[in-house]
Amino acid sequence: MFEMNGVYTELPWLYTGLAAYALATVVAIQGVIRVRGGSAGATVNRSYEHIVLGFALAGIALLAISIGERWLRIGHGPFVNLFELLMSQLFSLGLIYSLIYWRYPIVRPSAVVALPLMWILGIWVLTLDPAGSPFPPTYHNKWLWAHVGFGKIFLSFCLVGTAIAGVILLRGIKQVSSWFRHMPADAVLDALAWRFMLVAFIFHSLMLVAGAVWAQDAWGRYWAWDALETSSFLNWLLLGALLHARTTYRIPIRVGAIMICCIFIFAFLTYFGAPFYSQAAHKGVI
Amino acid sequence: MMERLRKIASTRFTLVGMALLGVGAALSYDNPVGTPVWVLVVPLVLLAINLLSAILTNARINRRGGLLVFHLGLLGIIVLAAIGRMTHMEAHLEIIQGGGFSQDDLMDIRSGPWHAGQLDKVTFVQGPYTVDYAPGITRGLTHSHVMVPDGRGGWEEKVIGDDRPLIIDGYRFYTTFNKGFSTVLTWIPEHGGPVTGTINMPSYPMFEFKQSNTWTPPGGKEINFWLQLKTGLDDNAHWTLDARRAKGTLVINSNNRRIELQPGESAVLEGGVLRYERLASWMGYKLFYDPTLHWLFITAIFGILGMATHFWRKFSALPIHSTNGEKADWSSGAGDVPVNTSLQATAVANKGQSNV
Repeated sequence: MFEMNGVYTELPWLYTGLAAYALATVVAIQGVIRVRGGSAGATVNRSYEHIVLGFALAGIALLAISIGERWLRIGHGPFVNLFELLMSQLFSLGLIYSLIYWRYPIVRPSAVVALPLMWILGIWVLTLDPAGSPFPPTYHNKWLWAHVGFGKIFLSFCLVGTAIAGVILLRGIKQVSSWFRHMPADAVLDALAWRFMLVAFIFHSLMLVAGAVWAQDAWGRYWAWDALETSSFLNWLLLGALLHARTTYRIPIRVGAIMICCIFIFAFLTYFGAPFYSQAAHKGVI
Repeated sequence: MMERLRKIASTRFTLVGMALLGVGAALSYDNPVGTPVWVLVVPLVLLAINLLSAILTNARINRRGGLLVFHLGLLGIIVLAAIGRMTHMEAHLEIIQGGGFSQDDLMDIRSGPWHAGQLDKVTFVQGPYTVDYAPGITRGLTHSHVMVPDGRGGWEEKVIGDDRPLIIDGYRFYTTFNKGFSTVLTWIPEHGGPVTGTINMPSYPMFEFKQSNTWTPPGGKEINFWLQLKTGLDDNAHWTLDARRAKGTLVINSNNRRIELQPGESAVLEGGVLRYERLASWMGYKLFYDPTLHWLFITAIFGILGMATHFWRKFSALPIHSTNGEKADWSSGAGDVPVNTSLQATAVANKGQSNV
């Protein structure tokens, strides 16, 4: 498909990293299916979670090597084109989700939602040309790192919240509801999911501020309502509005879960959709 | 009075304001200049009134330090952004190498009604510049040398470019992709004294094959100029645009006469003599002025820190428990844990919907 011949040295690492994520996904799904039959008070074997984490960590390490290889090959970090954006996003989503997975056992069954969501990016990146793009002169700025870094943390916490919300919604499907019977009640998951969305909200705010500082340095204006700015601001506003709505109205748990999924979809479209409806993701980018 | 404020402070009102702001933002997408300003101003004013009322009357905000700082930060951002728009200034300008900044050269000026900056005190002189290009004429870093007063009666050289603006008295000068060559010409009319000026050619290398311009001297006929450049430009190799290493032949066409001039040469035309003094370069700058920039940044950061502090305290008091109180301990080996379908009543569960 692409010019291999040793040119795109990052691809073998990328493919094996994605394979590790795929194995983590398979083991996570098999694991929750296997423990579904446990009755209250019975003992279930959750050792599969070790394997999921192991594969996820292997995927993260391999993706890190892949990003490093590419960095050495093209001379700049994964900031410019969609291929490297997806690569780095797969790395950061995997890293932060794995940290949460390791630290908070309560969320582990949500991997059956989080990992397939990451696979949207995984499949997408396989369809893209890995050729490098020129590094714009305005990207030589430390605020770019802060902006991109906060954005990745935002999307990662959003993913965690969405995965938990996904569990709430899946429980409504008769055929799969038993997969999650050993997880806490929906009310607990709801509170937990919104807690992660609040953390996401903080990092989204930091992303906007860091982006504004970078834009001021790079293009001589801190805000210009370009495609990404408008979309990310609307995303921030939607998240803020829904947080306020929760304190104002008694929102049913499933509706709350759908709201979280909407925020994630909006964020996903902002990150990965803007290049399709705007010639330059940020105006004056080149 | 307080009762009225409480009604204005309602979160329902907040949601309406946010929805209106969302509509305003969507309308402003990609065309902030052509969109009526009220689509943003109206919802922001409503939200500012709502915020101020909530800060004054809502105990859930004004008795919680972190949340109070966050909402004050939001209010501060709205106020500062408004002040910024009223006092800001934006413009473009082109400065020839060796020439000084003059506010008379500003183009596309947009400024707020309260703009009262001291642009007349801004002084700098444009020096040479270089722009690196990668194969395929892909623009890289710009290094623009400028001389600024050092405050001791002398001059100090600064190198600016791309994301490093020249900042003088709050005015920020950013280099742009718009730059090129110019010719320094002297017009010696048949009657009267000589006049020296410059003719800027279109942006280079963007308009490499359109390096032409026209000028009508006083008392003369229109002259067409075309600049033949030798800059070493190579589409397939790394290349640096540097006017000091460039050579330019000026081709003039007047009254159906075609004359080629090298620097220092003259041509007799109708109404006078035109002398091509030298080849020079010009740099296009974007000028931006907003006295609230630093305060906006500080206010935003304080606001976010306030929010983070609030949630840190709140979440610390209600730690995330696992379903059965297990710790994330991987050393236990088997990992066998009892199923718990009726979760222990954690504080998280008890708090219900408004917990977070």
